[in-house]
Amino acid sequence: MVHDTVMHSIESPTWQEDHVEADGFRIRYVEAGGGAALVHLHGAGGLVLTPSHDVLARERRVIAFEMPGFGASPENTRHQKMPDLAGTMLEAVSALGVDRFDLMGTSFGGKTALWMALLAPERVLALVLESPAAIRPDGQRPPQATTAEELAAMLHAHPERVPPRPLPDPEQTARTWPMVMRLMGPARDPELEEAMRSLQLPVLVVFGTADRLIPPEMGRTYKELLPSCQLLFVYDAGHAVAADRPGAFTEAASDFLDHHEQYVVSRRSSVLFP
Amino acid sequence: MKAALFSIVPYQGEAERGTWPVPARTYSADVARRSMEMALEQYELADELGFDWVTLAEHHFAPLSLTPNPMVLAGAVTQRVRRAKIALLGATIPILNPVRVAEEFAMLDTLTGGRVVAGMLRGTANEYVTYDVNPAESWGRFEEAMELIIRAWTEPQPFGWQGRHFRFRSVSIWPRPVQQPHPPIYMSASSPESGEFAARHRVRIGFAFTTLPLASAAARHYRECAAACGWEPGPDDVLYRVTAHLADTDEQALEELRASGADAPRLGFSASNRPLDDAAASAGYYGRDATVQRGRIRAQGRPMAERIEQGQLLAGSPDTVLAQARRIRDELGAGILEVVFSPMAREKTLRAIELFGTRVLPRLRAL
Repeated sequence: MVHDTVMHSIESPTWQEDHVEADGFRIRYVEAGGGAALVHLHGAGGLVLTPSHDVLARERRVIAFEMPGFGASPENTRHQKMPDLAGTMLEAVSALGVDRFDLMGTSFGGKTALWMALLAPERVLALVLESPAAIRPDGQRPPQATTAEELAAMLHAHPERVPPRPLPDPEQTARTWPMVMRLMGPARDPELEEAMRSLQLPVLVVFGTADRLIPPEMGRTYKELLPSCQLLFVYDAGHAVAADRPGAFTEAASDFLDHHEQYVVSRRSSVLFP
Repeated sequence: MKAALFSIVPYQGEAERGTWPVPARTYSADVARRSMEMALEQYELADELGFDWVTLAEHHFAPLSLTPNPMVLAGAVTQRVRRAKIALLGATIPILNPVRVAEEFAMLDTLTGGRVVAGMLRGTANEYVTYDVNPAESWGRFEEAMELIIRAWTEPQPFGWQGRHFRFRSVSIWPRPVQQPHPPIYMSASSPESGEFAARHRVRIGFAFTTLPLASAAARHYRECAAACGWEPGPDDVLYRVTAHLADTDEQALEELRASGADAPRLGFSASNRPLDDAAASAGYYGRDATVQRGRIRAQGRPMAERIEQGQLLAGSPDTVLAQARRIRDELGAGILEVVFSPMAREKTLRAIELFGTRVLPRLRAL
């Protein structure tokens, strides 16, 4: 088991950066590790690598995309609904020569990942949703931080413990935010929720108990809708679960990707002195 | 004010003193059975007399208390106490399995139709030896266990818990608590850290093994922190535990206390094993004002007159005890007075309980 405190001292694997052409977009991605592919889709703040990525890449080929419209990519006015973006991302994965894969989505990217699984259930082996934004309290609009401190307080259980991260530059936000709002869609999306009822693949939904953006209680709706869903609360983590409790998050995510719903059976030995 | 009757369920026979853990060399199964029966008798009488609560607690490895798992005795109490709330102060949650604690409280809440009060405590330093838990991790385990227990009570879907100290892949307890969203929670708030935590989590507080001045200062800290968190604790949010003996006159009550050995110097639970307590203290168990906290626990052994003065002992006629109780209400703002009747001959204790129930309790309500 990897403890949070030692996470930051783990040697980072080498992340290769490249671009892939898919569906008319030039999409940036980083990748590390080898073996079975794990595709990760970031949250509304864009692509940020956490120590969790490093640990996951020790046993898998981790591919973290920067979705069209984020980062330095041109404004994305083409995608009107989340399934549009999900379709493009499926093509991007294919363009890397990957057919079947594990999929992980964070917050905004959690909704993208859900749609990818719904559009191509035969290609996705298992789905991990970190603080997914697909189902939100009625009437809640995603808040926008105006200072770096506000951003840290929104994302982290203990903002004082996190190295300060500057706000994205206003020009980039002006380019990204309309697309985020458009694709995020309504707090409750009946079309998505109806489709979730017949999604047969194993899903792990993870919420931090100290999430200030999306109440962790939203997790139970995923559990109600999805035929094969495990709900997991990571204690004392905020919205940025993998950043706040990398060891805790990664242990559960890896275990789930290895064993799917059978991850509920403990494989830890309790033998102290063999 | 409301009143609770607390029994620690002491073993009513010969046993070694001034040590912990206590060897069972002189143990008698018959005495133990009678001791438990005496506690049940007290609870039953308290219920008949109109006490608002009866209270049990968790302590290990000593004749001081025969309820290492108070949930078990509480199961029996549910069949005898039909009206009063049944308080467990507490479950020592950092040394237990929190899911099991959530299940047990929910069982008791179901058996009583929603009359359980859920105390969650850290226990005394020595109790960390009981199940081999590092006392340095006491606070971390306490905070996490409380959150997990509340989640187990309130989350309708099966869930996993990825904590720092606890990991569960799938939790979905049956039965569920009757009280919604969950039974009231009490915790100790003698240390500044605990008062701050309780205020932040809107948890009620109780004081035991302390003095009235120390408890009053701690209660002020709790109220200030609650105000900073945007809420104001009411009378039911503060409980104070005190030892008591009543007789028809002050002289008789004091004489009976002296005759029962209550005036003799005593060692507190933790102080019975000083090296162990020192080890827990050096691990940081007592928090940021360790000196005050350790002094508070050692202050339990003082002479009778001093204990009355310090608000640790109510003693005298019903009128005198009422005046002493009023002082606790006035100085501390406690809305719940939890009374431990000082151990002595069975009839004298029952008489004291009856005097309290018939002559003090009705007037206490008006305070």
